[in-house]
Amino acid sequence: MSDPINIRALMPGTQITLTDGAVAEIVSNPADGVWVFARYLDSPRDPALVGQEEMIFAQDVVAAAPPK
Amino acid sequence: MATANSSAYRPGLVDMKTGQISREIFVNEQIYAEEQEKIFARAWLFIGHESQIPNPGDYAAARMGEEAVILCRDRTGEVHVFLNSCRHRGMKVCRYDEGNTMVFTCPYHGWSYGTDGRLVGVPFFREAYHSQLDRAQWGLVEVAQLARYKGSVWATWDPAAPPFLEYLGAASGFLDLQLDGWDGREGQAEVLGGVQKWLIPCNWKFPAENFSGDTYHNISHRSVDLAGIGPSGSGRRDMSELLAGRKLHVCLPDRGHQTILYLSPPDDTPRPAYQNTPLVAEYFRHCEEERRRRLGDKARLLGAPGEIFPNTALLSRQPRTMAAWHPKSPHETEVWRWFFVDKDAPSEVKNFLRDYYIRYSGPGGMTEQDDMENWNYAHAASRGTIARRHPYTYEQGIGTAVENFEWQGMRVPGRVVDITDVRSSEEPARNLYRRWAEFMQADSWDELMTWRKNARAAAE
Repeated sequence: MSDPINIRALMPGTQITLTDGAVAEIVSNPADGVWVFARYLDSPRDPALVGQEEMIFAQDVVAAAPPK
Repeated sequence: MATANSSAYRPGLVDMKTGQISREIFVNEQIYAEEQEKIFARAWLFIGHESQIPNPGDYAAARMGEEAVILCRDRTGEVHVFLNSCRHRGMKVCRYDEGNTMVFTCPYHGWSYGTDGRLVGVPFFREAYHSQLDRAQWGLVEVAQLARYKGSVWATWDPAAPPFLEYLGAASGFLDLQLDGWDGREGQAEVLGGVQKWLIPCNWKFPAENFSGDTYHNISHRSVDLAGIGPSGSGRRDMSELLAGRKLHVCLPDRGHQTILYLSPPDDTPRPAYQNTPLVAEYFRHCEEERRRRLGDKARLLGAPGEIFPNTALLSRQPRTMAAWHPKSPHETEVWRWFFVDKDAPSEVKNFLRDYYIRYSGPGGMTEQDDMENWNYAHAASRGTIARRHPYTYEQGIGTAVENFEWQGMRVPGRVVDITDVRSSEEPARNLYRRWAEFMQADSWDELMTWRKNARAAAE
């Protein structure tokens, strides 16, 4: 299990990897430490999610890469 | 104690014929619990002012009776009032006094709500709920009705309550004096600074009664009058312009609202005020001139302390302020006080008034401290077994109120006692408790809207 990520600090544009292997890009961050708004870039479990924007729960974020 | 009025709330508690009221209504736990259901879950309550939430996403904490609510403006600009409690396990979803947000997130399990109240975030929605939870059913609890009146925001939990303006009746005129500009333009008020909030150890009806128009207790403020905290360095307020006319107790019996009003003679000339501060004096001189020009004869009415039933206090003359007496228990009240200025007043005027307002009202205000001393000790001294056996008297001026009061060409609505010469009456307090008893007794709004029945009967 990876160390918890402080999602409050994640900027829009950050790519996040989720527990189910999906990758999403943060669109906006309410900075409540619980949720970020992100758009799916890749979703092996459910490809229909790609391109959709959803709220992502902090405990689902396992990795983050800074905006390119 | 005998009850002659069969419509009173429980025999022995509120007797309008003799003007006697049992101390039980202030200290009894069961009556207090009943008030929450019969009054605070049904009446229109003051929430706050739109100037507290000017932008999309802005929110401010508020209260309705004992319960915490959120006043907020959603992303599209609509104003909402929500119960501040997560639908999952009840945790507060907003724990700040004010701010701007995209979502209200519960810190307990992470449920998250948009500023329009919709449930937008449920942790493990797909996994734990198997995508089965109907999120549309689990948004924040929203008030049944919300009304915006000249910037003020009001709400009720009761879908059967009449529309807000009908609830106000002629009291909309009292509120106009509070919310319109000093120069007579509509709805110019804005909240100055933050909302002052504090606890007082007394039942909420003590301050509500006091602000209904108690002129009898002015002896309590003698020391403040002697110290001269008024904006011109004498007395409590700039009142000289009020002394030329009539001082009235105005009550709306079918609504339960009441106030003090001053009525000036038609040919009255504005008197100087705020003389110690020339810029402020000139500003108010100009505003008063404009007000008279805009409003004509209506400008003869000047506001003073009043009460919108059940728990909203008005004070449109300086200090211009509103308060809500939020019940916390039979023995404790949380006071919220808003101070108002005209939004386009010069900053020097706003700064001057801020100093004056907080010198007068609020937990640090000299006059409000006098009042609290009375309410708090009166409450404490009314809790005992022996004390409860002895009712309070509200018989002052019984039978002296008149309908269709008219003076020098102006009629004033409601039941009016001219207290210019007699100095005081307890008609406003009787009006408050009459309505209180009606609310406590009525099973539905149909019983409370007597004016509708009267209008139908008149039409027939």
